Amino acid sequence: MISHMPPGLIMILAAFLLPVIPHVWRQIYMLGAIALSAYGLFLGAGTHLVWTVLGLDLILYQADALSLPFAIIFHLAAVLNVIYSWHDRDWQQHCASLSYAGAAIAALHAGDLVSLFVWWEATAVTSVFLILASGTERARKAAMRYLLFQVTSGVLLLAGAAILASTSGDIRFTKMDLGDAATWLIFIAFGIKAAFPFLNGWLQDAYPEATPTGTVALSAFTTKLAIYALARGFPGTDILIWIGAAMTALPVFFAVIENDLRRVLAFSLNNQLGFMVVAVGIGTELALNGAVAHAFVHIIYKALLFMSMGAVLHQVGTIKASELGGLYKKMPFTMVCCIIGAMSISAFPLFSGFVAKSLTMSALGDAGIVWAYFVLLFASAGVLEHSGIKIPYFAFFAHDSKIETGEAPIGMRVAMGIAAFLCVGIGVFPSLLYSILPYAVDYHPYDAGHVTSQMQLLIFAMLAFVVLVRLKLYPPEIPSVVLNSDWFYRRLAPMVGLPLLRMVMLVWSGLLHQMRGLVDAIWDMLDRIMHSPLAGPTVSGRAVLIQAGLLALLLLIAYAAAG
Amino acid sequence: MSTPSSKSPSDLQRLGGIFTKVLLGIAIILFGLEFFIHRHGVVSAEESFMFPALYGFLAFLFIVQVGKWLRLMIMRKEDYYD
Repeated sequence: MISHMPPGLIMILAAFLLPVIPHVWRQIYMLGAIALSAYGLFLGAGTHLVWTVLGLDLILYQADALSLPFAIIFHLAAVLNVIYSWHDRDWQQHCASLSYAGAAIAALHAGDLVSLFVWWEATAVTSVFLILASGTERARKAAMRYLLFQVTSGVLLLAGAAILASTSGDIRFTKMDLGDAATWLIFIAFGIKAAFPFLNGWLQDAYPEATPTGTVALSAFTTKLAIYALARGFPGTDILIWIGAAMTALPVFFAVIENDLRRVLAFSLNNQLGFMVVAVGIGTELALNGAVAHAFVHIIYKALLFMSMGAVLHQVGTIKASELGGLYKKMPFTMVCCIIGAMSISAFPLFSGFVAKSLTMSALGDAGIVWAYFVLLFASAGVLEHSGIKIPYFAFFAHDSKIETGEAPIGMRVAMGIAAFLCVGIGVFPSLLYSILPYAVDYHPYDAGHVTSQMQLLIFAMLAFVVLVRLKLYPPEIPSVVLNSDWFYRRLAPMVGLPLLRMVMLVWSGLLHQMRGLVDAIWDMLDRIMHSPLAGPTVSGRAVLIQAGLLALLLLIAYAAAG
Repeated sequence: MSTPSSKSPSDLQRLGGIFTKVLLGIAIILFGLEFFIHRHGVVSAEESFMFPALYGFLAFLFIVQVGKWLRLMIMRKEDYYD
């Protein structure tokens, strides 16, 4: 019975009982729910649950070679979240986190666009509580903006699905060709969640406002669900190469000057999504393997980086680079984990990023898309700059901030340890990862030429950093806000919109005033008629006069009808 | 329990020195390997001598420099949105 339920659904149902389960047991209970959900994956590939509603076949549980690697890593991320938040007694956050992961997993197994929409929205309404849980006014506002974007994405997806249902009657979630309104709506819906350029503001706006544990959960699911959706719906769509390349390159510059280290990681997350989007755009088997492999390892090392920064935030109370530094002695374990995450994301050989990113880069080379290849190579140096160097450097080294603190709670450290172990394990034994990719892999990342190329890029970029620091040319961290695409709706729209709105309101109130005058004039006229009729008795009230008028009108109509 | 705070900066400097030396060591090894290992490139320029090293070095400098310019345009006070 349980094995035929869509994976993830059991986690959502389990979340309802969390408030009544005491702390610690709650964590064990959540691990049990995740294990039960994962057990459902053993049903293997195929369509396992279809529900016919209003003449539509809703495919609630469908699995294949594309959904499996995402399902595995989503379950793993959910487990890491539970362990990382072991110390946390706030059941609301656990509820949100477990049901959010469950919704994302269920979405992976939706075989039609309407089911996908349901889970797509469910990820939005569950995850928003992870931002709200911060309890600050800033977080509340960011959460509302986040929800607005997420729900818009869902509405666009539903609109696209509705058009498809009415035109072709086929709502199965399969490969689509970008062309008509329906596919464009769905494409933009995916694009919002995948944080396409100019649709990305919500990501850097909201993720860093969530709780230390909440951001870790957020970093795993929403955007990677979008990558999965793009890989299923739009593989080989050329425009994705352009969009993805822009996504890899642009956030790099913002990340250099951002002061909030979790926001730096949010920019970095955006950049990493770019690599995956490019890979989906290429669309070859090697490239799609690259997109999936990248999403898989990215969830682990990005979670590790967010976990290490979350640990710092939990212990120190701030994550601003300008206030941190020198924590390597106070939090050595966190520092080592952070550096492992940093080396993984930078794609050092023997770390997980290398074995995944190599697939995409090779696919780009094979496809002969040279310009994109060099943009991604450039972005690789950018990744090293902000995630490889800036994050560990400003948190743990740079200068002595004289902050007295210690290591994070044991649960946080265990989760970081597991993630770090996986980063190295996958890097050393890539065949483990390659064996679960959608297409058969005959790829060997560790050839001498490839390794030396990558090492040259990274080591000499690091030397550039050393030169800049030694010459005091590296920009110091400044307490500040970096404007991003959210500026358009947080500042520009009110700047343009508010005067416009005021003008409309002015015209409206003028119109109302005029109409009120008109009404008064009509009443005055009625009163005059009542008090000084041309003939007959004085009418006792306005209502009587109106009734008399209406009766006269009826009489006229009756005469006209009879005539 | 805590180490004297005056010692920490020098510790960091010492650590920075070691880091630089290790980096230079690896860079020299990579330079040496360039004479023995054939690197495959997507275009022929990529196979030229120490190309990835030069690309990485210059890309890093470019990113930081553009970041500095961007600060002039899009950096605001912390309470900008409040």
